[in-house]
Amino acid sequence: MIKVTIKCFSQVKYAFGKDELNLELETGTSTLELENIIREKAKGKLDTVSLRIALNQKYIPIQTELKDGDEVAFIPPVQGG
Amino acid sequence: MTKIEIVNGPIGFFSNDNSRQQDGAELVFNGHVRATEYGEKITALEYEQYEGMAKTELTKLSEDTVKKFFIHDLFCKHRIGRVDVGETSLHVVIWSKHRKEGLDAMTWFISELKKRVPIWKWAILNDGTRIPSECSHE
Repeated sequence: MIKVTIKCFSQVKYAFGKDELNLELETGTSTLELENIIREKAKGKLDTVSLRIALNQKYIPIQTELKDGDEVAFIPPVQGG
Repeated sequence: MTKIEIVNGPIGFFSNDNSRQQDGAELVFNGHVRATEYGEKITALEYEQYEGMAKTELTKLSEDTVKKFFIHDLFCKHRIGRVDVGETSLHVVIWSKHRKEGLDAMTWFISELKKRVPIWKWAILNDGTRIPSECSHE
């Protein structure tokens, strides 16, 4: 098993009512699988929200296997300016 | 050269610079908070950042802009936290030899900022309700 921290912002924070989630996952879980878990936990609140994935504060273009201690953020459309 | 600041509080503007003998253009952009978000009146926006990554992405974007458009310098300040209607949330100054590359750089920089820098807005409605803004213009 591995432990990961999920940072929550904007609509993700709104969906869970928390700044971060700490999850224990099966070893070998990928970022894509984690996204599916998160969407399921949100019970429909993120169904229409597109999410990019940042792993340890960097955008990643493809799915990656998670490691123990990783920090993951599912980034809703950004809105700076 | 680039200079990036993410500030929690009112923005102090960069001062204009009359000592630049190679720059024919000094462009200033100030983004303000509008009184309405998706048709509803608001009292303020609250900007939220992914601390660390927002500064890293904004710095990278500034450096990319300087290289892509051959401008000389780009300075940027972005506010986080509560920003009342009418106040400045984004302040950008670009110095370049000619106006065209400066104007093109400004447009591209702000468009890219709205695509890749992890900063979000929460709308504070007149009744005090706080909801994630749905506004994400490119």
